[in-house]
Amino acid sequence: MGDIILDVRDVSKTYMQGKIPVTALHDVTFSVEKGEFVAIMGPSGSGKSTLMGIVGCLEKPTAGAVIIDGVEVTSVSDRQLPRIRREKLGFVFQHYNLLNSLTALGNVDLAMRFSHVSRRERLERAETLLKKLGLGDRLNHRPTELSGGEQQRVSIARAMANWPAIILADEPTGEVDSKTRDAIVETFKLLRSRGQTIIVVTHDPDVAKNCDRVLRIVDGTIMDE
Amino acid sequence: MFDIIIRSVTQRKVRSGLTISGIALGIFALVVMGGMSENFNQTFENSMSLTSDKIRVFAESGMFGGGLTDDKVPDVKRVPGVKDAYGILLTTFDEDQMGMSGKQIFALPPEKSRIALKPVKLKAGRFLEPGDTYQVLVGTSIAGEYDLQIGSKLEIHDKNFTTVGILEYTGSFFDSTAAIPLETAQDIYDLEHSLSTIFAIPEEGIDADILAKRIELSVDGTSTLSPSELREQASQSLLIFSVITISSALLAAIIGGLSVMNTMLMSVTERTREFGILRAMGAETKDILLITLGEAALLGIIGGLAGIGTGSAAVYLLNLWLSGKGIILFAITPRLLVVALLFATVIGMLSGLYPAYRATKMSPMEALRYG
Ligand SMILES: Nc1ncnc2c1ncn2[C@@H]1O[C@H](COP(=O)(O)OP(=O)(O)OP(=O)(O)O)[C@@H](O)[C@H]1O
Ligand SMILES: [Mg+2]
Repeated sequence: MGDIILDVRDVSKTYMQGKIPVTALHDVTFSVEKGEFVAIMGPSGSGKSTLMGIVGCLEKPTAGAVIIDGVEVTSVSDRQLPRIRREKLGFVFQHYNLLNSLTALGNVDLAMRFSHVSRRERLERAETLLKKLGLGDRLNHRPTELSGGEQQRVSIARAMANWPAIILADEPTGEVDSKTRDAIVETFKLLRSRGQTIIVVTHDPDVAKNCDRVLRIVDGTIMDE
Repeated sequence: MFDIIIRSVTQRKVRSGLTISGIALGIFALVVMGGMSENFNQTFENSMSLTSDKIRVFAESGMFGGGLTDDKVPDVKRVPGVKDAYGILLTTFDEDQMGMSGKQIFALPPEKSRIALKPVKLKAGRFLEPGDTYQVLVGTSIAGEYDLQIGSKLEIHDKNFTTVGILEYTGSFFDSTAAIPLETAQDIYDLEHSLSTIFAIPEEGIDADILAKRIELSVDGTSTLSPSELREQASQSLLIFSVITISSALLAAIIGGLSVMNTMLMSVTERTREFGILRAMGAETKDILLITLGEAALLGIIGGLAGIGTGSAAVYLLNLWLSGKGIILFAITPRLLVVALLFATVIGMLSGLYPAYRATKMSPMEALRYG
């Protein structure tokens, strides 16, 4: 048994839709070990993105606790959250969410701007990461000049930039063809082989079958493992 | 962060351009109006400092009506503490324009011209001297406008005068002054023995305000204006220019400020996702503020520079054109430029405050859900 890097305990999330409460998550409990590659699957509207947002410290749960790398992130002050996002978490989004005005290198560099990393080191790290992900010849391309798979790999490099404890990816292969999907999955497997913890939300069984474990979520509740 | 700020301005060229024009227009108005005000202030200050040592003596009933006459000069001179006194006659140079150009005839006893004009120096020629009649000493504006050299003829009240001296540039009313002998003036204007003012120069170490009162009491039918009283009176009339400048500054603030606010609100709303991404990547509130306020300030600075550039150019051309008529109407001073640029920057940032605040309130969840 490895170390627990993520512990989610009795997490519930209720949104107010006007005056009507909408329960997106209900008593969700699970944990993830360091170096695990976990898939989260479930129908549309079942609460997957909500869960990612809470684990990613983008939102607070209505009840319950989230512990990342020994820190109970659900009880730290709002002022501390940016630092936790920088140091513990890396995000990969469905639509890549790269800034079109920046090059591949610039986008990866951006993720390190908010911590105290020197410009030289930032660029060095960004270049190393992009090369490792097979984008050595695309460093100065803008997102519009890259294929979907390449853009997603840039965004994975960006998520990796601060050596986060966990990478959270919400439907990272939702928009790409099967060949690109396989390349992205290979990239995650490469990162996992280096000890990186990855949680990926997916609808695609071909992605899930590459994972160590699949969490199924229906109507805001974890069904089975 | 600076590259991100610059990019967001250059990415939306048309919109940024329009916003910048809005600020530039306001700052343009500020520079032109401020330039006018600065010119009046400068002329006033220079004139004051050149004449600050003299007490003005008028006829009690006012400058014109009661009639100040030659015989009062010895009376004034006799007052203890008065070092010297002389009478002058002031009238407009360009009678057909009713004095609109501000040029004046300054008629004085020729032997007093050196003291009266002190500390102004000569650029060429000499001061007036005893025995001069149809001789004239001119300031640079008049010399420039009529292209006068030593020996040139200048027509005053249908009489020909010979230029004997040209004064140095002073930035004061002396520049648009033509000095001629007092007796000649009294003669050609049919004002025998009449004076406009008597100037009294206090002795070393004598308080001008006290001496002014003493003159008023000892010489019948006179009233006086000490240098400090004169300054007070004149600054009242300068107030109007401050009001004009402040109004144009307000106009600048409103036009420029609203356009920056509008642009920034659009820009911030459009970039909801972008700010969400930055927050998801761990951007602090201060980083978001820096980016948005920086963009607003940059718009202000560029607009300010553009306004200063076009405003200065307009003022330069206007001055060039007006100087042909012997008028200088605008002065662009360093302090005016600094104030204009600071003002533009502050307008930009103040108008950016609310949009920036909105940007910090955007939920990072946006990036995840709609990304
Ligand atoms: N801000 C919100 N206000 C109200 N209801 C919300 C809000 N965000 C999400 N919900 C609701 O919470 C539920 C879970 O949403 P969530 O986005 O987590 O689902 P999902 O599993 O990610 O779906 P998908 O597969 O379509 O992305 C949905 O019913 C959704 O309508
Ligand atoms: Mg979702």
